[in-house]
Amino acid sequence: MRRGLDIVMGCVAGGCLLACLTISTGLVWSIARRGWGALSFSFFTEQIALVGASGGILWNLVGTTVLLSTAFLACAPLAVSLALMERVWLRSESMKKALRLGLYTANGLPSIVFGLFGFLVFVQWCGWGKSWLAGGLVLAMSMLPTVTLVVLERMAAIPQRYIAAATGLGLSQSQVAWAVLLKQSWGGLISGSLLGLARAAGETAPIMFTATIFAGVTFPKGVVENPVLTLPYHIFILAQDSFAAGVETKMWGTALVLLGLVFSMSVAALPSRLYLHEESDV
Amino acid sequence: MFENIPCKNIVLETLNLEVQVRERTILQNISLQVASGEILGIIGPSGAGKSTLLRCFNRLSELTPGLRVRGEVRLMGSSIYAPELDVNVLRARVGMLFQEPVVFPVDIRENVLFGARRLRKLSKGEQDELVESKLREVALWEEVRDRLKQPAAKLSVGQQQRLCLARTLAVRPEVLLMDEPTSALDPRSTSAIEELLLEMKSRHSIVLVTHNLRQARQIFDRVAVVCLRNGVGQIVEQGESAAVFNAPSAPEFRDYLGQASGM
Repeated sequence: MRRGLDIVMGCVAGGCLLACLTISTGLVWSIARRGWGALSFSFFTEQIALVGASGGILWNLVGTTVLLSTAFLACAPLAVSLALMERVWLRSESMKKALRLGLYTANGLPSIVFGLFGFLVFVQWCGWGKSWLAGGLVLAMSMLPTVTLVVLERMAAIPQRYIAAATGLGLSQSQVAWAVLLKQSWGGLISGSLLGLARAAGETAPIMFTATIFAGVTFPKGVVENPVLTLPYHIFILAQDSFAAGVETKMWGTALVLLGLVFSMSVAALPSRLYLHEESDV
Repeated sequence: MFENIPCKNIVLETLNLEVQVRERTILQNISLQVASGEILGIIGPSGAGKSTLLRCFNRLSELTPGLRVRGEVRLMGSSIYAPELDVNVLRARVGMLFQEPVVFPVDIRENVLFGARRLRKLSKGEQDELVESKLREVALWEEVRDRLKQPAAKLSVGQQQRLCLARTLAVRPEVLLMDEPTSALDPRSTSAIEELLLEMKSRHSIVLVTHNLRQARQIFDRVAVVCLRNGVGQIVEQGESAAVFNAPSAPEFRDYLGQASGM
């Protein structure tokens, strides 16, 4: 009876795994098959032309990079501070739990909510209009919970004996934070940020209100009314207007580039995450 | 039970120390003195609160949530709980060596300098000098002088413990607290550490927790026996080491000695 149940459980788990693999392979294959034809050197080096039917995605790539860099620079110090707050300065267990619960809840918030918040605060209240800075900050907010939780996970894996030894030498709390906690959780910050950025790279809803337009801009020269072109918004617009075969190929090509970008960031985060799990096994 | 040492220079003393974890008392009536240039041993069965007591001497007990300390601990006559006292300065003055060596994931040189270069300004030359002098002091210099830039984790456990001692000595402590520092070591490394302790006691007062009765008889000047009495850790006997071991009076201590020799 129990053996039969084991076999059924194994089959169900195997079936689910197979379904996941089929879906993801099918997704990659369908995008790659349609988009491969669009990829060429000029696709990466030319700017958009003929409402997306011609030219390349140079400024979309640049714009997405600008947004992601801004998001990383704004998010990293906040994530580290929040994690240190939880690990070092918050004394009461209930406060720590509240912070963690808040982070998990924020992690589940739909990105469009962050977009609306950014629109109200940065675009309207600060008067920036559509701006790369507004978009970068909104993406930073949306990825902050993920990054903080990964840094926290890394800090929690640091053995307590290191903290006791450093404190026993007479180091202050901030010296312990710097010399022990931060030194040993850089990997968490990098892998958490890459995972967060991989998600943020594909976000369309939060940046369409705050940071991106379809065409007509290159590199931002200021903050106010300085939007950027981005990969996800380019796909969004082309998908709505893909009446011509040329446009459709360009759209799939852009999707393939975005997929490659996200995939490479996730792969880059892999060694650091594997290292974490090896270390916590000790 | 409380034995005064009137003619010697008292470095560290406790008066009626009591420790509670949440509402439960785990140590009470702890009054002891450590004179300069001596090794005070704390022995007793596991779970009697010896390590907790040791951590009260440099307020490392504060890292344990829910632990409350009452009574008095004085270093050179001043209360270590005085509001104007900087707890980080206290911890540098009262150094600690743990049961298992805790080397940081950096190289050997950086491990020696880990505390010292964060607590005071040291030029490159002073750093080199400090690393060499402290590694010589713990008899490790000849073994590691050619590989100071290698990860400290590559050293043997005995060498790691001596490295930790060098790191503690580099912050210039007046008192050294040691929590079973040789329990994870082989006999050769143990005797190396014991020789070091005997040599160092002229410069530092040492408080050492151990389960090793041979070690206790050989290197302790005085001994405080902490045993559970009515479920609470207390000093059941203390005095000159030879006197305490030769004529144990407390029944808890006699039981402990009987069990330990029967092992």
